[in-house]
Amino acid sequence: MRRKPITPMDPRASQYGIAPERVTKRMAAYPEMTSLLIKDLFADTPAVIYPHEEGLTTVRKAAEAALSRVDMSMIKPRDSVNVLASHHGFTLLGGEPYAELLRVVRDVIAERTGTDNIRLRAGVGLRFRETEEYIKRYRLDEHFKGKARGVAPIDEGVAIQTEIGTLYGIKAVYDADWIVHVHNSDVREVHFHRQVDRAVKPFGMSYARIETRSTYHWNMGPRGANFTARSIFESEFVKSKFAFAAFLNMSPSGVVGVTAENDLYVLNDQLTVEGLTYYGKIMTLLGEIDECIVGLDFPCPVPYVFAAGVIYANFVGANDDLFDLDKGLPPYTWYTEAFYDKSGKPLIDSIMPVNPAIKMVVHNYAWGGYPSAFFSEHIPTIVVGQQQAELFNQDPQNLSYMQYAVVANGLDEAMHFAYHAAKTDKVIIFDGAMGGINVSHSLADMLQAKAPAVAKRVDRELMPKWLKQRGVSPT
Amino acid sequence: MKVISLKPVVDQAKCIGCGICAKVCPAVAITVTAKKAVIAEEHCRGCGGCNQRCPVEAIAMVRMEKPYQVAVAIDDVDYQAITRLCVAAKLHPEQIICYCTTTRAEEVAAAILKGARSPEELSRQTGIRMGCKVECIQPVLRLLQAAGITPERPPGYQWYGLTPTVWDIPEAVKAKYNSRGFYFDEDIKLLEQVVHASVKKEEGK
Repeated sequence: MRRKPITPMDPRASQYGIAPERVTKRMAAYPEMTSLLIKDLFADTPAVIYPHEEGLTTVRKAAEAALSRVDMSMIKPRDSVNVLASHHGFTLLGGEPYAELLRVVRDVIAERTGTDNIRLRAGVGLRFRETEEYIKRYRLDEHFKGKARGVAPIDEGVAIQTEIGTLYGIKAVYDADWIVHVHNSDVREVHFHRQVDRAVKPFGMSYARIETRSTYHWNMGPRGANFTARSIFESEFVKSKFAFAAFLNMSPSGVVGVTAENDLYVLNDQLTVEGLTYYGKIMTLLGEIDECIVGLDFPCPVPYVFAAGVIYANFVGANDDLFDLDKGLPPYTWYTEAFYDKSGKPLIDSIMPVNPAIKMVVHNYAWGGYPSAFFSEHIPTIVVGQQQAELFNQDPQNLSYMQYAVVANGLDEAMHFAYHAAKTDKVIIFDGAMGGINVSHSLADMLQAKAPAVAKRVDRELMPKWLKQRGVSPT
Repeated sequence: MKVISLKPVVDQAKCIGCGICAKVCPAVAITVTAKKAVIAEEHCRGCGGCNQRCPVEAIAMVRMEKPYQVAVAIDDVDYQAITRLCVAAKLHPEQIICYCTTTRAEEVAAAILKGARSPEELSRQTGIRMGCKVECIQPVLRLLQAAGITPERPPGYQWYGLTPTVWDIPEAVKAKYNSRGFYFDEDIKLLEQVVHASVKKEEGK
């Protein structure tokens, strides 16, 4: 007896997507769909504190416990503190766990240090008002007593002297006596950071100016990219302001716990190991899929919709091992995207094609606000609804997305077309289902059959290699 | 090349004349006159940066009745000169250097060889930096530097300056962090493969 599909996250009102009422049907609603729990695929899946029957209480308790072990004595009653957040946390499990962590961090700082000058500075990717939307949605402005704001990479900058030269941060991120780094350990953009210094990444990205982000994606190379973040974090300027970090510790099944540390590198090493452990098996398993139709059905940009904690961008590169640092260019990353010539051929032979298992993409619901034309150019894509197509046509970051995609009037029409054109009944839906993954019955059978061998290979072969490449001990 | 299909429209009643829009505009197409934002439509390339940062949401992006295209032709420029400039910037002439507009290095190099002297001029001429407004500032600055040009910074926050590349990392710094998975030298080798592929392609013509 198969499980029913997991209810996907509701569409969200946002200026970057179509109106929620326009999403009239979800891919998980079809009778041929079922769900698999991560814990049913891999026996060593960790227990989670959220989703939980007690709701957010478990997150609050875990955050309070983790913060109780952190030294805050450097923060004096009259000091100013910037609590730094990033947009991505609000896309995890409905966003409430991350919002709750931010609330707890504020409450505990106020209680322990006596300062009331605590601001929220929430960074973004390429949708400059995204965290403004989240601040309103989760009423963080009220919780931070009117001192919450979104910050963007084109805002006023501040020069930061690093070991390799001058880089630039967002001035409003650093305009306090102290900064507190509140993030999550979801591996997410493995194609960019390669699970190297994951915990440090926002210093080179959501807290950084355009010059620094451009350094990351153009100047440092596909494996050295995240050194941009470490360079900034290692600077005297940032070290002099850094108080502590608090992370929502994620797994593909949900929130495993909350970790807080004064030493970011201690936390970084812990999360490097746990990220490889928690996500390594499911990412490797998804790479075993031989053929499928992909459904995009989640309120965030095309590459960031996710299934079983794995983002679509990583599934596009799942025909290679993204954690293996011996591999230079993943099938999809921005360096790779840049290295195709005018005729569409790779500039060097070592560039792998995107995951050939993806026969067709049904874009039922995903946002703009991220350059995504590479995906529709390389993978047959059918977009549901003229309004969604028009959204992309009017998006300065996606002016050519629809040049490579076709439009269906509705989801039924799109699925009918996809099944006939792709000639497979295996479907994987990137709809952010909590705790598991929504797939077709046929794909569920395949994933269940392959999971034990994948688990064994990751434990015995891949994990030791991944850890050695990063100079991290499993203990 | 970029098709310009959107233009900003300022709600005069809402505008508070703060000038943030002018400070973030990559094309430097906005001024503040009599405490109101004024947009020079002939310079605007429809990126929407002003719309996204206006603190009072006084700027709307509206569809243009007649979209138009900006592009710099490369056919009338010596392609060897284009290649030399790109290689000096450690870029392949055919590689994309702006993901949103799929602008290739050769077009920006051609614009520089034809006389463009700043990121702002390059944006107006080619449409580069007119999508996300974030990621492609360094390849633009690298190409200008390779041409021996040191552009003057505009008065706002459009850009601050060139930043280091993996080629600039001191050996001592590499040695300090190599064991943490950064693979600096291997990435240099890989990036140079791409750059030198341009020379091979040129020789093959």
